[in-house]
Order: sequence, then structure tokens, then C-alpha cells
Amino acid sequence: VGERVAAVVAESRAVAEVAAALVEIEYEELPAVFTAEAAIAPGAPAVHDAPWGYPRAFVKEEQGQNRQSVVEEGSLDAVEAALATSAFVVDETYTTPAVHQGYLEPQACVAEVEPSGKIRLWLTNKSPFVVRSQIADCLGIDPGSIDVQPIALGGDFGGKGSPEDAPLCIALARRVGRPTKMVLRYSEDLASTDARHPARVRVRIGCDAEGRITAWSQDALLDGGAYGGFKPAGTVNIHGTLEPGGYRIPAFYGRSVIAYTNTIPKGHMRAPGSPQATFATESAMDELALKVGLEPAELRRRNLPRTGEREANGREWIELRGLETLEAALSALRRRKDAPPGWRLGIGMSVYCRATPTSTGSSMRLVPKPDGRLRCEIGVIETGTGSHTVARELLAQSLAVPLEDIEVVQVSTDELPVDPGAGGSRVTSSLSMVADQAVKAWRARLDDEPVLVVVEEKGGPPVGSYGVQIAQVAVDPDTGQVDVLELLSTVDVAEIVNEKAHQMQIDGGAAMGFGYACLEDLDESDGQVWSANLGEFKLPSARDVPELKTVLVRGARGVGTANVKNIGETTTPPTAAAIANAVADAVGVRVRNLPLRAERVLALIERSS
Amino acid sequence: MRVHFVLNGEETACDCAPDALLLDVIRDLGHTGTKEGCAVGVCGACTVLVREVPVCSCLYLAAMADGAEVWTIEGIAARDPTLIECFVEREGMQCGICTPGQVVSAFALGLDYGQATEEEIRQFMSGNLCRCTGYVTIIEAVRTYLDRR
Repeated sequence: VGERVAAVVAESRAVAEVAAALVEIEYEELPAVFTAEAAIAPGAPAVHDAPWGYPRAFVKEEQGQNRQSVVEEGSLDAVEAALATSAFVVDETYTTPAVHQGYLEPQACVAEVEPSGKIRLWLTNKSPFVVRSQIADCLGIDPGSIDVQPIALGGDFGGKGSPEDAPLCIALARRVGRPTKMVLRYSEDLASTDARHPARVRVRIGCDAEGRITAWSQDALLDGGAYGGFKPAGTVNIHGTLEPGGYRIPAFYGRSVIAYTNTIPKGHMRAPGSPQATFATESAMDELALKVGLEPAELRRRNLPRTGEREANGREWIELRGLETLEAALSALRRRKDAPPGWRLGIGMSVYCRATPTSTGSSMRLVPKPDGRLRCEIGVIETGTGSHTVARELLAQSLAVPLEDIEVVQVSTDELPVDPGAGGSRVTSSLSMVADQAVKAWRARLDDEPVLVVVEEKGGPPVGSYGVQIAQVAVDPDTGQVDVLELLSTVDVAEIVNEKAHQMQIDGGAAMGFGYACLEDLDESDGQVWSANLGEFKLPSARDVPELKTVLVRGARGVGTANVKNIGETTTPPTAAAIANAVADAVGVRVRNLPLRAERVLALIERSS
Repeated sequence: MRVHFVLNGEETACDCAPDALLLDVIRDLGHTGTKEGCAVGVCGACTVLVREVPVCSCLYLAAMADGAEVWTIEGIAARDPTLIECFVEREGMQCGICTPGQVVSAFALGLDYGQATEEEIRQFMSGNLCRCTGYVTIIEAVRTYLDRR
């Protein structure tokens, strides 16, 4: 449901809309599946007859019908054995809905096909080089015959990372022999692009009598919608669902199953998979703390690893500062006392550990300008995060010249060899690595010609960054209404290139986490997106967003000579669990299904009394 | 139909359909600072002033602006440079798509209120959504503007 079935090309939008209204479609209703659970049930109708036969399919026939991707990590046997002898075990299942990225600029594409066959695209996409190869792959042409033009994006948050309607626009431009332009209405964007996967995550955590974790299993089932190709990842999976929470875990098992359903395709959104998984695991940690009889902070304190320890899945980290981050959060906490009469206050915390990639494949050109200034050409798009400002500041600092002497421009994909695009919390670290090489080449240059550097850095162990969030809520026990008074984000940081842009990632990330926790739900019951306008799909307004506070735990080790870390995806994943834990603290009920709306909280309160 | 209005201080006339939206008409006149976001009057990206009142131009018929003064972001920027300075100084923006609407609403707030509490600012600005910033720097920009004018 939501599939494009016909396209109309016209001179104006008005004419196109009239023409589209004349198209009559007869539908024959076929058996369908609208949830991941229904899709993997025995005998479910097949969304695709043989998806394992698709080019570069990630699934195999023996994995079963309606699978997009199945990824496992760790040992289920080891986990079962350890759980069987654990003093305490929590075993709960948590669900999260489909949500849209909520960028305010709808997706759009302009395609121009020259008589030579050369294609020029102006596309709301955050990774021009990646999307160029995706489209070339789709059309069976050489990537070099497509030139993706530089544009600024009106927000991304992961949603602008797939080709969307570009192949259609190209096909139509070829057909009519003129450039074509397609701009989605926001309602169309909500009901047809690449929302965050709805998830059901079963979490089992065991610990000994002192609260030390013995085993950890997270089993995620996600609704991937009707197509897998909207996720630009090699395994089609979203690996945030397999992250083991940043704790010391002797026995770990993670499984992430993405199912095909007859709903809109799901894609990437800010830390793909992590908000779903972290809501589940950090809620489960509080449920475990209750069983053991420990304060939630104490249970976490006993299980956060030190530098040098490996992560459960064997991954090494350059440094681990979870404990320092937790203690900094606790000492900054000031308990609120401003509950309305009759409302109950509660506090909840949540921990998240995010990796900064230490690898990149990017390029940069430095061009001397006649006026003595320097022009820096990059392939990184400006999505609004300040990436171009960061590039400028990194160069100005390295070259010891004023900011005004550096001009940063994004150029088209024809004009540079490679860039990974915006995503994976990698832009600042990637830019710092490529700027470092560019400055070295610039210093070593023999004449006043432009300098081009291409950096292919494989990288070593990731740099981890902990984010500890503490939510304070007031809950009205008579109505179930939850007022999130404050979100305190404590973040483990290295050098910060631009303090303001860094802070806005923390604040914007927390606000997005709040929306996910309390407001947003695309509502795909019966397969169709019901919240198909921004009046129904509720983004947080200036009145809704809680007071946002931040503590920076400085002094960490970062990436490259600029010594930087990730920030864009650190404060969204932990928020929902922090708020759910605070609600449990306030009124003693456990919300395991997002969004955490008043009706849901009230029903739980009524059931418990 | 023929519609006359004063756009950013200049007499303007245009031919448009009776159901033409003010948003489309002003953009077709080259004033593309005003953006279409939600198209249902919720996000505020298309906010303009008509008769000194902020309206969502995505829901406002161009014909209803006949004879009125209309101010878009382009005109507001010239009319009150202090306001723009405050948004720049406090970095009250990220991707920029909501910024024209935020600025026009902040100007309208200034017309209505000499001073405002944080709660009043948040209430007034709640019709302008922003997905990037978490609103902290936008509210700071508006606060600074009210203090400075």
C-alpha cells in the first residue's frame, strides 16, 4: 500500500494534478501482510515470490518467506546456558512504531538528460556519490554518465539517503525529451518515502546476585516494508539493533530480522536501529534493577566497562568512558520540584554508546584564488548540520589563516573522485582526515596549481562516545498525561570544532528522541499511512520540547590530528527509555510500547490499581 | 483574476486563478524565500504577514490578499535588519528551510508584544516547527530581538 502506480508529466503542477485525477485504477485486493509478525508467520502471503533471487540479495531461500535480511551475532547457546544459572533474569518485549524523519523540506528531483545521454540530477539526497552509483546500478549505466549537482538540503536525518523517485524522473525526462521536475507534497512524503522501521525487540538480560551481567540477548523483528533497496547498507539490515548497549557482557546474542510487508519501504533515520534497540535494552536494564533491588544508576555503574575491555561482540574500542560519563550526569542532576498539584514526579536514565567511524573514502581539492584566498571543494552536502562551516574551521586552523580566507563549496560528482556523504556520524571525522591530508599536500606544493587529495582510510577500532540521558517527568495519575520537564544529556567528547553546531546536534537529537518517545506514530494499521499530514504526525513544537540541559565530559581521545568525535546520533537513541524509566519511577507502570501517550499510560495505571 | 497588493512595500499586480494560493503566487513573483513545508497550515514554513498578521500562505488564497500589504521574508529582512542580526548571532537555524517562517513569526511577535516571557515566546512561536535545532537557539534569537529593539 503506497506503491506508485502511474506517472503524469505536464507543463504545470495544476495540470498534472488534474490529469492524475483522471487516471482510473481498478484494484483487485490480494492477501497482504501489514506487520512483521504477520509476514513471518507460517503460510503468510508472499510479498515477493523469490526475493533471494534478486541481484545481490542478502537472504537465502532457507531463511524463510518474506525475509529482507537476517543477521545474527554472538552465541545463543552461550546465552541460554548463562541465563539458566543467573540469579536474576529479565525477559520482556518492547515495540516501537514507524516514524518519519520529519525534515521540513519535502523530497524533490530535477532530471535533465542531454542528447549525449549524460544525466544531470538535482536531487534531495545526502550522499551524492552513493546515490549516483545506486541509480547507475538501477538503470544499468556507467556512474560516470550521471552528474549529481550540488544543492543544500532542508534537513535529512537519514531520510534522504536513497534514490527515491530519481529513476522515475530520469525515465520521464528521456521519454519527453525535456527536463522533468518532481516535488512531493508533504503528505506524499509521509506516506511514501522511507520511514524508520517499526520494531518488536525481545530482550533477555541475566545477572548474578550482585547485579553483574551474565548474559544478554536482543532479538529484533523489524517491518522493512515492501522493498529493501531504500536502505543503502550492504546487508540491508540496520545494525543499531545489534549493538550491545555499551556494557560488559560475558555472553551475548543479537539477532535482527527485517521482514517484507505490504507497507511503504523503510529506510534509515538517525542512528538506524539504535532508537528501537536502546528503548528496549535500557528499559530492560531498569526492569532488571528493580528485580535485583539496586538503584538503576548502580546497576549500570557495576556493568560499564573500562578502557581496554572488549565489547561483547569482540569489538575493541580506543577508549571507554561510560563510567565517567555516568558519574558526570549524576553529579549534574538537580531534582525538579515543579510538579502541578496531584501530579507525580519521576526520574529515569538511559545509556547509549555510539561509535565514530575511523575509516573514510573521501576527497578534497584546494584551489588558490586570484585574490589570495583559498577555495576548498568538497563532495559533502550541507544538510544543515554545519559541515561546510566545520570544513572551513578545520582548514583555517591548520593553515593558521583567518576564516574569511577560506571558501568552502560543494561541487558536483563529476568534479571530485569520491565522498561517502553525510551519515553514520562520520562527517566531522571524515572531513578532519581529508582536510589533514589536503593541508599537508598544500604545504608541499611546488607551484600555485590546485591540490587534490583522495583519502582511503581503512581505520582501526572505532572511537566510542557515551551519551547518558536523564529525563525528569511529571505524570498526572488521573489522566495518564506525561509532561517531560527536562532532559539532561551528558556526552563524552573530544575536541569540538564548532561549539554551537555541536550543541545543536545534542539539542536537536534530544528533541527528536522526545518526539519518538511521546508523540510520533505514522500509524500503518491496515497497511496505509494514516498520519499522512503534519497535523496527524505530530512533530514537537517549541512548546512541546522539554527543557534541554547538557553536560560535556571533555578530554576524550578522538579521531585524527583534529581529535574529533561523533555527535549527530548520540542523543536520539537513549531518550525514549529515559522517559519510560522516569514514568515508571513516577507512577510505577512500565510502558513497553511507544509512543508513550496518555491513553496508554492511563490504561496501565488503571490495570495496576 | 487580477489581484493587487503591496508586496514588501511595492505595488504589485498579477493574474491568477481564483483558487491560487498566496504561497504559489508570491513564489512565482520571484520571492522564493517563502517555503512550502507541510502544505496544511501546521509547520509554518510558509508564514508571511498579511495586514501585519502572520498567516500560513499555503492555506491563504491570493485573492484574499487583494488590496492588502503583504510582507515576506525578503521584505522583513530589509524592514528590520536587527531581527536578522539576532538570528545570525544566536545561530537560530540549521538547515534553513523553516527559517523564513520563524523570522516572519518573530517579527509579528515583536509587533504584538513589547516584552514577552519565555513561555509566551514559545507559545507564539509554536506554529513554526523546526526539526533540526530543538528550538533552543531560535528562542534565544527571539529573546535577543525583543531585548534589543
